[in-house]
Amino acid sequence: MMLKSKESFFIDLSDAVVDMDEERTVTAANAALEAGVDAYDAIQQGLSDGMARAGQLFEEEEYFIPELLMCSDAMYAGLDVLKPHLKQVGESRGTIVIGVIEGDTHDIGKNMVRIMFETGGFKVIDLGRDVPPQRFVDTARESKADIIALSTLMTTTMDGMGTVVKLLSEGNIRDGIKVMVGGGPISPGFAKRIGADGYAVNAAEAVKVALELVGNA
Amino acid sequence: MSSLSPKQRLLDTLAKKRVDRPPVICTGGMMNAAIVDVMTRSGHTLPEAHFEAGRMAELAGDIHSETGFENIGIPFCMTVEAEVLGSEIDFGTLACEPKIARELFPSVKEVVFRNIPSMLQSGRISEVAGAAERLGRLHPDQPLIGSLTGPISTAASLVDPMQFLKELRKERESAHRVLEYVSNFLIAFAHTLVDSGATAICIGDPTATGEILGPRMFDEYAVTYLNKVIDGIHAAGVPVLVHICGEMKAVKPSIPLLHADAISTDAFVNLKLLKQEYPQLTTMGNLSTILLESGNPEKVSRRTETLVRDRIDIISPACGLSTATTIAAIRAMTDTVKEA
Repeated sequence: MMLKSKESFFIDLSDAVVDMDEERTVTAANAALEAGVDAYDAIQQGLSDGMARAGQLFEEEEYFIPELLMCSDAMYAGLDVLKPHLKQVGESRGTIVIGVIEGDTHDIGKNMVRIMFETGGFKVIDLGRDVPPQRFVDTARESKADIIALSTLMTTTMDGMGTVVKLLSEGNIRDGIKVMVGGGPISPGFAKRIGADGYAVNAAEAVKVALELVGNA
Repeated sequence: MSSLSPKQRLLDTLAKKRVDRPPVICTGGMMNAAIVDVMTRSGHTLPEAHFEAGRMAELAGDIHSETGFENIGIPFCMTVEAEVLGSEIDFGTLACEPKIARELFPSVKEVVFRNIPSMLQSGRISEVAGAAERLGRLHPDQPLIGSLTGPISTAASLVDPMQFLKELRKERESAHRVLEYVSNFLIAFAHTLVDSGATAICIGDPTATGEILGPRMFDEYAVTYLNKVIDGIHAAGVPVLVHICGEMKAVKPSIPLLHADAISTDAFVNLKLLKQEYPQLTTMGNLSTILLESGNPEKVSRRTETLVRDRIDIISPACGLSTATTIAAIRAMTDTVKEA
């Protein structure tokens, strides 16, 4: 008989992530493994749950970017412990190519969205910051991606998002690839104008939108 | 003809004296009007004008005469400070502004503190100062605004920004030390600009927003070091304008704590309501740069009229201008204020 229920290990992991505590997350991950908890469950119901709660606190303006970044560090520390013990890789919910549009080097928001996509079960290809529109299109084509996710924090670079949509149409691959956009100056109206399929106001929302776009909500 | 020179009108506004109408300005730095339309007309182009005093002065003069903004604003980027501090800069192109290619340090704990007086001799500081001297001579009636990148953004250009933001929580002592260092450097740079003829200094600090930092860290870091820099500049005898990016919602109660002589905000913020709530603030802003880029002069003019009617103290774009903005759109803004 387990001295502790599986659920209590999940709670320990989730709490350690929410509390931004890398060390405690690693300890909790090791404890869960020693007790025979399945690594996949520990990731999904422990670490991911913690990130989802952190995302919620972010939406409620309890947490801000520094807190969210520290939660994700804790989450990754736990992931490093648990990943080698995964029996089989859980089925991916789809592939997302993400990056910050050319001319902009602000990638804090994009990194948060990437983390939320990853914990949400997507395979993510991160092109980084200051990415030319053509590279998004080429990468999406080569990787047979389901979604291209574009971010910018600057009004001066918003046009590049429209360029990506245009390039997809010109390459006749627009139908197979959904485009979602976000970032400080982006509005739902702007997303619509450039012909994007989705808009998210923040990282937590981005996962929901992505799941809807791949028909997996 | 108006009796006030544009310089006097801005200084009087910042000193809370009554003026005939609000000044309409564009500060330079993050909010510069070095648009492609101006550069192709005059032939004085970026990126060249980032590097040399004569070219910088020529382009700043072109911007002033073509757009009708009632000031001179230099430099045209936010990378002068980071370059001097040692980070790697990508100087961009005609239409694309310079940016940080790589921050020098991976962590606040590893920042090496250098001698500030010797840093003032390096990078583009003497070119910006030289441009200021020329512009002051050529345009004695115009306020000459020196633009400064704020302490939080400058620190996040010296240290990897993701790491920096986490270390504001995790490594508070080192983070404070780095911000002290950066602030002292910024004050020294601002003094150089004032000695070269700057009438006022404008600080833009796009990393210091409520959305990124949250209210607690905004108070602990942004308010503390913005005020340190503002106080340091006040000691040189010139007023300081501060631009706050983003929605400002999370940090609104902290805004009156800033020692700035004017607060400029993004387009999201209702300046009329902000004025009602904090009558002591001198407000600046906030014509949507998206509206300006869309280029419809009539809409620009109508929106500008509203800002003037709402008694916004200084009329200005709400954020960084797209380099694709047209002179005609900006003229619609500046002419409307002048006719008011």
